[in-house]
Amino acid sequence: MSSWYEKLSHKVEDNAFKLSVWSAIAVLVGGLVTLPPLFLQGTVQKIDSVKPYNALELAGRDVYQEEGCFYCHSQMVRPFKWETDRWDPTRQYGDTPYSKAGESVYDHPFLWGSKRIGPDLAHEAALRGSAAWQVSHLKNPRETSPGSIMPAYPHLFETDNMLDTEVIKARMSALRILGVPYTDQDIQNADSLAKNKTKGDALVSYLLKLGKDTMQ
Amino acid sequence: MNDKIEYDNQIVRMFVICILLWGVVAMLMGIIVAFQMIFPSWNFHPWLSFGRLRPIHTNGIIFGFTGSAIFATIYYSVPRLLKTPLWSSSMARVHFWLYNLTIVLAALSLMAGYTQSKEYAELEWPIDILVVVWWLLLAINFFMTMKNRTEKHIYVAVWFFVATIITVAVLYLVNNLAIPVGLTKSYSIYSGVVDANIHWWYGHNAVAFFLTTPLLAMMYYYLPKHTRLPIFSHRISIVHFWSLIFIYIWAGPHHLLYSPTPNWLQTVGMLFSLMLIAPSWGGMLNGFLTLTQAKEKIKTDATLKFILVSLTFYGMSTLEGPIMAIREVNSLSHFTDWTIAHVHAGGLGWVHGICAAAVYYLVPRLWNTNLHSEKLAETHFWVSTVGILLYVVSMWVSGVAEGLMWRAVDASGSLQYPSWVEIVNELFPYRLVRALGGVLFLSGFVIMVVNIIKTTKTAGSGFNPVDLREGSKA
Ligand code: HEC
Ligand code: HEM
Ligand code: HEM
Repeated sequence: MSSWYEKLSHKVEDNAFKLSVWSAIAVLVGGLVTLPPLFLQGTVQKIDSVKPYNALELAGRDVYQEEGCFYCHSQMVRPFKWETDRWDPTRQYGDTPYSKAGESVYDHPFLWGSKRIGPDLAHEAALRGSAAWQVSHLKNPRETSPGSIMPAYPHLFETDNMLDTEVIKARMSALRILGVPYTDQDIQNADSLAKNKTKGDALVSYLLKLGKDTMQ
Repeated sequence: MNDKIEYDNQIVRMFVICILLWGVVAMLMGIIVAFQMIFPSWNFHPWLSFGRLRPIHTNGIIFGFTGSAIFATIYYSVPRLLKTPLWSSSMARVHFWLYNLTIVLAALSLMAGYTQSKEYAELEWPIDILVVVWWLLLAINFFMTMKNRTEKHIYVAVWFFVATIITVAVLYLVNNLAIPVGLTKSYSIYSGVVDANIHWWYGHNAVAFFLTTPLLAMMYYYLPKHTRLPIFSHRISIVHFWSLIFIYIWAGPHHLLYSPTPNWLQTVGMLFSLMLIAPSWGGMLNGFLTLTQAKEKIKTDATLKFILVSLTFYGMSTLEGPIMAIREVNSLSHFTDWTIAHVHAGGLGWVHGICAAAVYYLVPRLWNTNLHSEKLAETHFWVSTVGILLYVVSMWVSGVAEGLMWRAVDASGSLQYPSWVEIVNELFPYRLVRALGGVLFLSGFVIMVVNIIKTTKTAGSGFNPVDLREGSKA
């Protein structure tokens, strides 16, 4: 009854050690072939105009993560006409108005999202560049967009949600270790940029940074 | 024959209770989140807003509910299959308490907004360390039990657990590498495209090695045990085990189609996803063919019904998944409720089905009594099946409708639905049906919980297993 591979498999499968080692090898191959090439130079084409988040924008990005905005909003425009028409209606992103690898080199972690309950935000700076609109939308989405199902975030603008500049500086220093090119001055700027600002203010400045550097 | 061996049933009982507890909690979160998607006024409090509760639903259902079922089965089946007591009962207890501490801390910290914001890897670094500790305890206990075994042959269920324990450890460690800034915040050491790829290598394989391989192990254990019939083909199980674990790892990039990920990687992800149909269906067929040997009993046995529906949805979602991994199809399905339909065909159908079968198999044996009511188990089956259908069908319709509205253009070539809110409003009825389907599904689950509680009231009164072979022709 037993064919060659059954004999072989019995040798492996009746030996706990061999079974474990071969399973590990079987599952590691895929990862070892597909992941390391990503680290090689040249995979990501740099875009010179893309700059790291300043202190206030970074704080806003942290709020965006805390509130789980990325469960409803993607930040990745795909290369389809219907997507670029929707998210670059006034053609401010050139001939190839979709998302590029170079745009997210400073994104620890990436926030492309996997679900669009709300619209894509990769080009938000171009689409809704008004801070006042963003503030009133965040405070009550149904006022600016009747029928919206987005939660309201009025509390982010209240005084018990003030930013702590020391925390922001520590976070920027950590990102510098990871390779984000912050200068000492960039980090010191937290004192002026984030002083007396709320989490909501930071979030708005982050939203207005999205797509700002690649706008033409 | 097994009388001489002292099996630790207490640890299994403890984990079974967690299946029920975390199941109810996580599904309740799912229902709240589902209603928040149609009635934004359900965002009662900053800590209970959609963005905070959604990860509690996903982590709770995957690591709380499914995790408990996996651990209960490991501690029950592995010593029995290998004919040796669990290597260390006290280590299993430490695992149990650290694990539950993790779930509680996870829920609280996610509500507070502490998150790495990578799907299914949201937990911040101190909790990650806790996870690593108890995963190691489980691994040591598991491998030492294997070392002490008195049964030479290692049954296929154990192989799947071996692959699970090793692979989850590797995935978890690599994807969660981050630089901490204080106790509650960290930044992934990877950025942009690299982070996305490492993350979906993890995310896809969390599905593979947390929602698939251990569930296959459970299927391979409970199905033959319950029917007292051997598994249909040992040969299929060999081939599909090795090919499944080898191929799964490559498929992650199908979550990143049309993204800035290198093209060759996207193609690899798509091709390996298509290849996955074969080993997935191998497992499903092996299950189905084992089941047909006891087909007369399916009519009267709720446990077998759950396994039948579970395998059906497993086959369905492992056919749908590869189709969704084809670029052109993904251009429609990605970012829409179609993904949610796929997830819950897998989750409500496959994962919950096997877990429910596990509970109905284990409880009478662990508490040494008969199930309080077979009829309630039947009711649970039918209520949850209707719930699944409402959920999955409504999300398919919603997903396809959504995807089509995003791309619809009028005669002049401009977008037909430029207003996002208009699209959202179109989806309202489907999302309402989904929420109601969820309520129905949870009601079914609560029926099981009540049935189990009543069963434990008669603990010790003696368990008479029904011999399912009586009805079969063989
Ligand atoms: C439940 C899902 C959901 C969550 C969570 C959510 N949003 Fe939204 N968001 C939407 C929907 C739906 C719209 C479209 C209707 C509207 O304009 O309100 C939207 C619109 C927006 C817009 C306007 C986009 C445009 O160009 O028209 C911005 C900006 C935005 N959201 C930011 C955020 C931020 C920041 C957060 C987190 C604090 C967040 N959203 C959380 C669903 C969500
Ligand atoms: C052969 C097997 C399978 C393949 C090839 C596959 C493929 C896919 C694809 C292409 C997506 C969509 C990605 C996107 O567009 O964002 C997806 C999403 C998903 N699948 Fe599967 N699938 C398979 C089986 C399963 C099973 C059995 C489950 C069990 C529950 C499952 C759970 C999920 C989850 C949770 C997601 C959502 C991930 C996210 O975006 O957060 N899949 N799958
Ligand atoms: C009462 C039953 C359930 C209800 C009402 C429910 C509801 C929901 C809702 C509303 C979402 C968010 C969808 C979105 O973002 O558009 C979600 C996501 C999810 N649910 Fe459930 N759920 C239920 C049971 C389950 C079960 C049993 C599983 C088991 C695996 C599961 C796994 C998931 C996963 C993995 C996601 C994330 C999907 C993604 O990111 O693509 N759910 N659920």
